[in-house]
Amino acid sequence: MLLEAQNVAKAFGSFWAVAGADLAVEEGEIIGLIGPNGAGKSTFFNCLAGDMPPTSGRILFGGTDLTRAPPEAHARAGIGRTFQVPATFEDMSVIDNVMVGAFLRHPHRNDARALARRIVEMTGLRADQPARSLGTPGRKRLEIARVLASEPRLLLLDESLAGLTPSELQEAIALVRRIHESGVTIVIVEHIMEVIMTLTRRVLVFNQGRVISSGTPEQVVRDEAVIEAYLGRGAQRHSRGSGNP
Amino acid sequence: MKNLPSARLNVCLLAAALLLFPIAFDDPFYLDVGVAVLLAAISASAWNIVGGYAGQVSVGHSMFFGLGAYAPLLFYTLWGWPPLAGIPAGIALSVALAIVVGLPTFRLSGHYFSMATIAVAELIRIFFGTWTLVGGAIGLQGPAVARGWWDLTFRGDMPYYYIFLAVLGLLLFVTYEVERRRFGFYLRAIKASERAARSLGVPVRLTKLKALVLSATFTSAAGSLYAAKTGFIDPDSGFGILVSVQMVIVAALGGAGTLFGPLLGALILVPLQTAANTWFGGGGSGLTFILYGGIIVLIARFEPGGLFDLWRRLSPLIRKRVHAA
Repeated sequence: MLLEAQNVAKAFGSFWAVAGADLAVEEGEIIGLIGPNGAGKSTFFNCLAGDMPPTSGRILFGGTDLTRAPPEAHARAGIGRTFQVPATFEDMSVIDNVMVGAFLRHPHRNDARALARRIVEMTGLRADQPARSLGTPGRKRLEIARVLASEPRLLLLDESLAGLTPSELQEAIALVRRIHESGVTIVIVEHIMEVIMTLTRRVLVFNQGRVISSGTPEQVVRDEAVIEAYLGRGAQRHSRGSGNP
Repeated sequence: MKNLPSARLNVCLLAAALLLFPIAFDDPFYLDVGVAVLLAAISASAWNIVGGYAGQVSVGHSMFFGLGAYAPLLFYTLWGWPPLAGIPAGIALSVALAIVVGLPTFRLSGHYFSMATIAVAELIRIFFGTWTLVGGAIGLQGPAVARGWWDLTFRGDMPYYYIFLAVLGLLLFVTYEVERRRFGFYLRAIKASERAARSLGVPVRLTKLKALVLSATFTSAAGSLYAAKTGFIDPDSGFGILVSVQMVIVAALGGAGTLFGPLLGALILVPLQTAANTWFGGGGSGLTFILYGGIIVLIARFEPGGLFDLWRRLSPLIRKRVHAA
C-alpha cells in the first residue's frame, strides 16, 4: 500500500470538516475524490499533503508515519500536490518556477535545469515566459509542471483541471494520463465529471466530512446516497417521474 | 542577470568607473562621498540577501551593523588590539545574534517580522547606551594615529575607498553565486509563497535562517568598516533605527532582490543626501528623515520594484525608439 489514511479527522473549533475518512491507495492507481462544495475534500487533501495536521487519525506513506510531519517532509517522502488556486512564483520565469521543484532531488543547478527543461516541454509551456504573464490555464499547467519536477511517487491534484475550455480540458486530461503512465500514482479532486469518468477507476464521494460512497465511477453516479448529496432529498423520486407535484 | 553580452559590458563599465573614480575626482570631498556611497551599498546589499531576495523585511539590521562597529573599537579600547582583529569577532557575534533572533522571529510574517526586528535593535541600542564597558551613551574611540596598516587608520580616504570597493565586490560576487544556486531559487520561492515553497520540499525556516546569517555577516563587516573609517562609534550611529532604515531605503530605491539594485540606490541616495545637507546646512538629521519619508512614499506609490525594475521595463522601449529613429 502506497498511502494509507486511517480514520482521518479535522476539526476547526467545534466544526468537523472531516469526520473520520479512510483512504488506501495502491501504487499505480488513479483515484478520484468528489463531493459537493464544503464536503471536506480540500481539508482532507490538505491533511494528506501535510498542510494541516489532522485532529485525529493516521497517515502512512510507504509504511512511514507522516501524520504530523510538515509539508516539506511530505514532499521529500514523495507526496506532491498542486493548489486549487495556483500559487505561482510570480517574479520568476516558467523554467525557474519548475527548477524550484527540480532542486528537491537535484541540488546542482545544471541537473535541475535539464530536468526542468524536459518537464516544461512535456507540459507544453514556454520556458522563458515570465510566470506573471500566464493566464489561469497556463498557471494550472505550471503548477503541475513544478510539482512533477520534484519527482513525486504520489501526486495530489486539487482541481487542477477546473476553469479550462473544452479543448484545454482534453489536453490536460491527456497530460494527466501521460503522467500516470510514467509511473506516478494520482489522487485527484475534481468537480468535472468528465475528468473523473475518463481518468479514474475508483472514486470516493465525500459529503459533510464523511466518505458516503466509493467504487467505480459508474457505480458511484448511480448510488442513491450520492444523488441525494448532490441534488437533495427527494431528487431520486423526481427523476423517476413518480413524484407528481 | 541574463548572460547577455550587453549586461556583461555594463558590469565591466560600472566596475571601471568605480575603480577610476578616486583618480578622476582627486578631491577629499568627492572621495568622502564616494566612500559613503560604497558603505551604503555594502550595507544595503547585505540587507538585500534576506530583505530583498527572501522578502523578509528586517528593519533592525542595525543590530548587526552595530555589533560589527563596536567589536573592533572595543578590542582596541580594552586591550589595545588592532581593529582588524575585532572584525571576525563582530561577525561571530552577529552570526550568533542572527540565529538567536531568527529562530523565533521567522515564525512571524510580514509586518510582524519587521516590527520584531525593530524591537530587538532598539533594545540593544538602549542596552549599549547604559553599559559602561562599551562607553555608555558616549561610545568608543579608535586609534587616533595608526601604528601600522592593521589599525586600518589612514590619513586620506583613498585606502578606505579601495578597501570598501573590494568588500563590495566580494559581496556582489557572493550574491551573484547565491542567485544562481538552489539557495537563491529557494529564497525567491519563499518570497513569492511560503506555502507553495514548502509543498515543493523547501526547508523554509532553515533557508531563511541561512540567509539571515549570510546577511548578518556582511552587515557586521560593513559596521566594522564604518567604525574603522570614522574611528568612533556610539549607540545611535551603530544601532540607531536610521541605520536600519537607510539599508531598506537604499535597497528598495534601487531594486530589492536584484543584484545591482542596492548599489544603484546608494549611487542616487547618498549624493542626494550630501547635497541636501550642504544646501540646507547639515547636521539636521530631521531633514534626512523627511527625505527618507518622501522616498518611501514615492517608491511605494509609483515604483514598488525600484529603479532597476523601471529600467528593465523602459530599456526595450528606448532601444526600439533608437532603432526607429
